[in-house]
Amino acid sequence: MIFCRRLLTFALGLSFVFGHLSCTRRVSDQDGTINTVVSANIKGLDPIFSSDVYTNAVVAQIYEPLLTYHYLKRPLTLQPLLAAEMPKVSEDGLTHTFKIKKGIQFQDNPAFPGGKGRELVAEDFIYSWKRLADPRNQSDGFWVFDGRIKGLNEWREAVLKEEADYDTPIAGLVAKDPYTLEIQLTRPYYQLHYVLAMTYTAPVPREAVERYKEEFINNPVGTGPYRFDSWVRNSRVTLVKNPNWREEFYPSEGEPEDRARGLLEDAGQALPFAERIVFHEIIEDQPRWLNFMRGNLDFVDIPKDNFESAVVGDSLSPQLAEKGIFLQVSTEPDVTYTAFNMKDPILGQNVNLRKAISLAYDTETLIERFYNGRAIVAHSPIPPGVDGYDPGFRNPYKEYNLEKAKEYLAKAGFPEGQGLPELEFSTISSPTARQMAEYFQQNMAQLGIRVRISSSSWPQFTNKIREGQAQIYGIAWLGDYPDAENFLQLLYGGNVSPGPNGSNFQNEEFDRLYERASRLPAGPERTRLYQQMRDIVVAQAPWVPGAHRQSYYVAHGWLKNFKRNSMIQDYFKYLRVDPKKRAELKAKL
Amino acid sequence: MFKYVVRRLLYTIPILFGVTLLTFLLFHIAGGDPAAQAAGKHASAEEIALLKAQLGLDRPLHQQYFFYLQQIATFDFGRSWATKQNISSMFKAGLGPTLSLTLPAFFLAVLITISLALILAHLRGSWVDRLSLVLCLAMMSISFLVYILAGQYFLAYQFSLFPISGWDPDPILRWTYLALPILIAVVVSIGPDTLFFRTVFLDEISQDYVRTARAKGLAEGRILFKHVLRNALIPIITIVVIRMPFLVMGSLLLEAFFGIPGLGGIMFQAIQNSDFPVIKAMTFIGALLYMFFQLFSDILYAAVDPKIQLR
Amino acid sequence: MSQSQKPPARRNSLWWDALRHLRRQPLAMVSLGVILFYVGLALLCSAGVIFTDYALVDHNRPYQEPSWENWLGTDIFGRDVLARAAHGSITSLSVGFVGTGLALVIGTLLGALAGYFGGRTDDLVVWFYTTVDTIPYILLVVSLAFIMGPSLQTLYLAIGLTFWVSHCRIVRAEFLKHRERDYVQGALAVGASHWRRIFIHILPNIFHLILINFSLVFVTAVKSEVILSFLGLGVEPGVPSWGMMINDARLELPRGVWWGLAAATGFMFFLILAFNLFNDALREALDPKRSRV
Repeated sequence: MIFCRRLLTFALGLSFVFGHLSCTRRVSDQDGTINTVVSANIKGLDPIFSSDVYTNAVVAQIYEPLLTYHYLKRPLTLQPLLAAEMPKVSEDGLTHTFKIKKGIQFQDNPAFPGGKGRELVAEDFIYSWKRLADPRNQSDGFWVFDGRIKGLNEWREAVLKEEADYDTPIAGLVAKDPYTLEIQLTRPYYQLHYVLAMTYTAPVPREAVERYKEEFINNPVGTGPYRFDSWVRNSRVTLVKNPNWREEFYPSEGEPEDRARGLLEDAGQALPFAERIVFHEIIEDQPRWLNFMRGNLDFVDIPKDNFESAVVGDSLSPQLAEKGIFLQVSTEPDVTYTAFNMKDPILGQNVNLRKAISLAYDTETLIERFYNGRAIVAHSPIPPGVDGYDPGFRNPYKEYNLEKAKEYLAKAGFPEGQGLPELEFSTISSPTARQMAEYFQQNMAQLGIRVRISSSSWPQFTNKIREGQAQIYGIAWLGDYPDAENFLQLLYGGNVSPGPNGSNFQNEEFDRLYERASRLPAGPERTRLYQQMRDIVVAQAPWVPGAHRQSYYVAHGWLKNFKRNSMIQDYFKYLRVDPKKRAELKAKL
Repeated sequence: MFKYVVRRLLYTIPILFGVTLLTFLLFHIAGGDPAAQAAGKHASAEEIALLKAQLGLDRPLHQQYFFYLQQIATFDFGRSWATKQNISSMFKAGLGPTLSLTLPAFFLAVLITISLALILAHLRGSWVDRLSLVLCLAMMSISFLVYILAGQYFLAYQFSLFPISGWDPDPILRWTYLALPILIAVVVSIGPDTLFFRTVFLDEISQDYVRTARAKGLAEGRILFKHVLRNALIPIITIVVIRMPFLVMGSLLLEAFFGIPGLGGIMFQAIQNSDFPVIKAMTFIGALLYMFFQLFSDILYAAVDPKIQLR
Repeated sequence: MSQSQKPPARRNSLWWDALRHLRRQPLAMVSLGVILFYVGLALLCSAGVIFTDYALVDHNRPYQEPSWENWLGTDIFGRDVLARAAHGSITSLSVGFVGTGLALVIGTLLGALAGYFGGRTDDLVVWFYTTVDTIPYILLVVSLAFIMGPSLQTLYLAIGLTFWVSHCRIVRAEFLKHRERDYVQGALAVGASHWRRIFIHILPNIFHLILINFSLVFVTAVKSEVILSFLGLGVEPGVPSWGMMINDARLELPRGVWWGLAAATGFMFFLILAFNLFNDALREALDPKRSRV
């Protein structure tokens, strides 16, 4: 018995010790702390591993790339961030010269002599991009430069053979002086400026990488407005204002209605506003929503299953509006789709079968059921918000028409589904994904097509696609940047599995057009090519396009300057919490 | 006694070997091609080969097993595929939150259920006893998940009695978040544990010494609380000790739903992410703890009960 | 035939006593009735006699509250929740019966071999089950389900391969006791083979233990289905199951849809409670010490 009591004391003591070890300052309602939420666990905080949106939400406040998007203007407009101005591009489109802002300091960190952050120079970009390319790092982000920058792919190969290291120069990346970076491309790449607004390409200081090695993911050192404070694993990450951040100001122009919405009240004010940002990691929908309703989170996107109680018609439900909550809708460049594996012996050779499936898939009801009617039926891979999107375009196989579907199924050689073996639909095992798979199964049953659902974890699912083992699968693509190229590359023959073209679609004409378009700057000619490619996709039906989703965010009245678009990643510096109003409104919740 | 402890210790060696072998085989089959999974979206064949070499997956099976044993011996399980974090430090970070959830839940549950069981044993055969029995069984007939869903929805949201989910590393503040999961854990264990302890007490009551005591004219309550409880302590302690490893592994579901950053939550994430190194390490650590507590309980038993040494 | 070759008389009287005892327990009889009701329900559902509209989709009537038309409301696809919950009993009962059956077969076989032969066989089996037992069961189930990918067969196997240990331990102990008994020694004298002695002579004598363990493992198996479904390792999507319904409640509760959760919980509650009660009565009935308490 004594033994038992000792064990108890010991164990209790242990829990308190652990508690004290990870103790942080208390979050209080008195200051302007922003409480936000991510719906998956945050991974290591390193720009080259920022592939998932949740981790990126944190990383993008600490690290900054050369360019960014204007906070208020739509359509999205690039503007300099670490760059002093927009880059100079040579006639042939192959040389891009960046001037870097002078006097930008890395955040203070023991990795630097004296613990004081040093100035950012052009060499930092070269080092960081080599790091992105280094095959030993297994970054998900190398595709942004893959085959584009002179000598970078060669350097990558050489590293693999241990014939090169970080001091080996690269022809396409030259620091002309500490503030001038020259990029030489292998061929014109007009998406370069977009990818230079992605967190992958943000500079990291070599000193810190070499000091922390594998633990660099837990010791981020960037140039951004916020620096890392603490991370309670699987619970929350806290960032605090970077005291050494340069002077930057809130924009003074935006969309016409921004003024009326109060988004320009802070024009010209010094950024950032909030002293602290807390990213809560809450995976389950229910607690995430409930925490918002209690005022513990400043804004969230509305979970699908809370939608009916939150939104009535086109506006917020009166119960929520009464509490000072407001709604913000954002159309994202996004498409959901059902992909056929074109290497599959049954589906790959039979365009009529694919069309029959497309015709039997009732997208309107899908949108009603799963997106609360707040999404646009997708007729092609090109989403709204990028050039090449035509709201009037109609895909003839996208109407829900069972009669026509049956005709095509008969033409495909399987009248009433006879002779067609059971098809396998792969999906991930979240409840919503599972219900969507069931929905597909039900739709196909109307045609007499039998479908088996195979669900697995996300890594197993993507692995299956990469290995070409998935016969039919449902997935979505949220654009990396606002350009149709980012969507059409999902069907480019050069990108077949294990690349991003998981449907293994290969069409000579499409590939020819794609390659031509990739050499063109934005303009009517490129848009025309995009639309020709779209027509090929429609005729060949390697996908059943699903929906272009919209994001519905709700925010509490105390949150100022809230205007979300998923492309804009460094938005926390613009947000401001009014602590007095928070106390006032929170009392009413 | 000493000889027994030594023998008992020696006995754990083949078990330890078995656990390493079983977990290794299990995850070797399950792993499929872990390299392709870890390498990410745009991995080339060359990169996958490189990664395989890094992870030691290109070596023959027995060498990989040896490597695994090495990992265990040094308590260095490598890094998670999903989060790239060091698994040992993930484990260390998760231990505190898990213990602060499970320890109070565990001891509260034991205290409450033993008291209930004593009362039931005292009232054995009465309608109270019968009814409680059925009630316990009824409580055991509801899924754990339902307790959590309903508890969180009604108690935390509808009636605002508790925070919905979350965590504070502060040793005092954390209890506001822990209260509801602890309550749910206690409620869930009332059914099975009360029944178990009741059986233990009834077994004890049927022993000869109780009859002797009764014959001597001692009051029933006195017999129960003084003699039966004292004698039943040995089986109770044993069972309590054996359950200890679950304290460490925590509750997967509770931690996932209430956002407690403990080992259960880590395990839940690892399952969602097919994060094999983490699942493997956690399985092994769980087994190790179970072995340790079993050993502890056996030795405790031997120390209390001299008959065992003669075996 | 010599006297010792006959099964011992104790067994017959044990069963007879137990049966008499059970029949005097109204609660046990009601429980048995409930279990049989579920079996009948599952059989009729799978034969397509009742609740044939469980997969009938009606997109105009999603999430309808309970009404005369749909006693327990409808789900996201407008399917009748009562019909789906009834069909869920097929999944649960088959997981229960097959998974448990598998666990008991493994446990009995290994336990019998170990207890009967003793020596090296015993050491090996004891080593094996101690090893398996050492691994926390939730992790073992998950790992197994993970390896095989989610499907009904996976559930059977994961449950069967995980929950055999405690049963195996009990069977082994019983065989150790029984092999020394006269009737087994007598069988040896007349040259009965090992298999004959294990299966014909000893096994029937410990059958009551198998029965008791059956309902214990059964309950665990049905409950495990819910947890495995939560982890995304349950039955194939589209197959009605209580685990899936409880999981969907995670999405339904926020919109005030409680009937899916209520239906699945209710259906599961009565089945498991019946098993629990019946098991309790059975154990008491088969307990030779019963009269002493």
